[in-house]
Amino acid sequence: MTFAIDVEGLSHNYGGTVPALEDISFSVAAGRFTVIVGPSGCGKTSLLMMLAGLRAQSQGRIHCLGKPIPEPDPQRVGVIFQEASLYPWLTALENIEFPLSLRGTPKEDMRRRAEAMLHLVGLTGFGARYPHELSGGMKQRVAIARGLVQDPPVLLMDEPFAALDEQTRMTMGHELLRIWSTTSKTVVFITHSLTEAVYLADEVLVMSARPGCIIDRIPIDLPRPRNYEMMATDVFGRLRDRIWRQIRKADG
Amino acid sequence: MTLPSPVAMRRGILVALLVLWEAVPQTGLLPELFLPSLSSTLKVLWQDGRIYGHALVVTLYEVALAMAIACGGGILAGAAVGGLARLRKLLLPVVSSLYAVPIVILYPVFTAWFGVGSESKIAFAGIYAFFPVMLSTAAGIQTIDPQFLLAARSMGATLPQQIARVIIPASLPTVFAGLRLGGALAIIGVVVSEMLTAAAGIGYLVTLNRTILDSARVFAAILLILLLSIAYYLLSRAIERRFVVWQSAGKPLQPAQSTV
Amino acid sequence: MKVLLVRLGLLALVLAAWELLPRHGIVNPLLLPPLGDVLATLGELLQRGQVREALGVSAMEVLLAFVIAVPLGAALGVLIAENDYLGEVFKPMLFIVFAIPKSIFLPLFILAFGTGIQQKIAYAAFTTTFVVLMSAAAAVESVKQDYLLVARSYGATRLQILSRVYVPSMLPILLETLRISMIFNFTGVLIAEMYASRTGIGHLIASWGENFQMKQLFAGVILLAVAAILFNEALRWMEARVSAWRT
Repeated sequence: MTFAIDVEGLSHNYGGTVPALEDISFSVAAGRFTVIVGPSGCGKTSLLMMLAGLRAQSQGRIHCLGKPIPEPDPQRVGVIFQEASLYPWLTALENIEFPLSLRGTPKEDMRRRAEAMLHLVGLTGFGARYPHELSGGMKQRVAIARGLVQDPPVLLMDEPFAALDEQTRMTMGHELLRIWSTTSKTVVFITHSLTEAVYLADEVLVMSARPGCIIDRIPIDLPRPRNYEMMATDVFGRLRDRIWRQIRKADG
Repeated sequence: MTLPSPVAMRRGILVALLVLWEAVPQTGLLPELFLPSLSSTLKVLWQDGRIYGHALVVTLYEVALAMAIACGGGILAGAAVGGLARLRKLLLPVVSSLYAVPIVILYPVFTAWFGVGSESKIAFAGIYAFFPVMLSTAAGIQTIDPQFLLAARSMGATLPQQIARVIIPASLPTVFAGLRLGGALAIIGVVVSEMLTAAAGIGYLVTLNRTILDSARVFAAILLILLLSIAYYLLSRAIERRFVVWQSAGKPLQPAQSTV
Repeated sequence: MKVLLVRLGLLALVLAAWELLPRHGIVNPLLLPPLGDVLATLGELLQRGQVREALGVSAMEVLLAFVIAVPLGAALGVLIAENDYLGEVFKPMLFIVFAIPKSIFLPLFILAFGTGIQQKIAYAAFTTTFVVLMSAAAAVESVKQDYLLVARSYGATRLQILSRVYVPSMLPILLETLRISMIFNFTGVLIAEMYASRTGIGHLIASWGENFQMKQLFAGVILLAVAAILFNEALRWMEARVSAWRT
């Protein structure tokens, strides 16, 4: 089986000396939703940056869709950051069109695809708004739309909902699953929230404290589509508890 | 008693001031020597329109060149210092310390070097406005979200694209603020230097007519300068608001702090 | 440490250029006397009674103008900050005031007070008041609403709130206000002295310039620049000491 993401023996040192990641190996099958959790500072974000081609690793191999990823490749991998980082001088729609405009896509084409993405994230009609006119949740939706507009098979998300309040987080998580289920993309998602991890994931990778390595792989066998009621079940609670115990052990 | 709206109140104050300006000298409360009436000031401005017009042109010319130096140099220097951490750590404290020195002490040096003509005014006003513009730009550059470039890179933007499509639009509010500040300070610098030692320009007219005790003409020149600086202020704010309408959270514009 | 060395190196470079370039005729020494000559002249000037007297006059003007402007500006600033209505009426006007060259009002002060000392003090106080006003208003507004709420919820009286919340919260800003106001105050006095006065160091500098006495002129420039920087740094040091808690 070919994997969408294949990481082998990944190690990294900051500035050549401080160990950040240690011998990380894992694979993500195509179409799967993988969540990475771990204590603060364990290197999750660095790992994501390397998966995205934004940073070079010191050692080890990363293959994305069968090829290495030495530099960003937005048609292969879309990245969504914790801060939406929408450009305030562009409208929501123009923000979504931005990656397309970098490649010289014709205007009608851009508009059509951006509108489609806007609709996908449930913001039809808000295209002409500027980021400062949007709520936190809406901004992240636009960010997601922007990440999806080039239809990359792989999506990387670095704590995208961390800046939102809990209720919005839950709604956004649910929305994300809906969007994901219509597309069959491979997703790697970083979060601090254990509830979020269990709710969203097919598999949860638990990382240790720095230097980060993978200490546990927890398959989440809850049925899809997920719903809020599942959060109250014993199965959910046990899974979350297992993650929590692993993290506490990892934190030493 | 309900108070009038702030806007109405301001307009009311302005009207009251104008009325007083006309009435007080007319009724003899203050001698015309000290406060010529508004009407006599306007009359003289009209009569000597040619002279004032010519002086205005000289002043505007000096302001334009001083502004080019201050904003051109100040914005570039500020962008460099603000954007490059090493430069910033090295130079910013030095520049902040230099800010404490009253630049006006350099003016006699410039008149000795460049004479009494426009060059000394342009040099002085250019330097006078340079440091605040540089400091303001350096501060503004640092408010740009560093993640903008990371996002752009993740979307596959090349370096030229990063500069043109991200850095430049993100810097626009700072650049506009620098232009507004630089222009205001250039006007102030030029007017001060024209008042001190000059042979032409509106500031020169103020001093000239003061020494011959022609108060009406002095006030006419003062009025002209007032109108010029207010016009520039309103114009630059209007332009700034129009172009930077997307500025997040609508930060209030800071007033240009001038020493004179 | 390295940064400090680089800065000192830059300074040394500038000073060396000032000494060597005119000395070797690369730059016209009549326009820019060598640094050594300027410093020698400075030493000589400081011993002259006329110069000392001018410095004394200027210092007194600076002090008096400051003593007038600070309470006046502070009172007005607090008023504008505390009273919402007055704030809304006058703040836009203040923005415009700062865009205007206040030096245009010098003739008015001269007409009112003559060309003596009062005019200079009055003018400098006038310009400085606005700066103090803006800074004071900003300082008052900077006191976080939260701090006030906490104090009030514990039943603090107005006086207690003033002394236990406002003052400590505002102290670093107050020092900064004084520092910046002094810069503007100093400039105001110098401009008035250069404009229409027969006393003061500003007048001396202006006349040295008019008479092409470049050594004296530069000596005066160095003296004033150094004085301004020293005063500024002293206040900055004090500011740093009281604002350790400030983020």
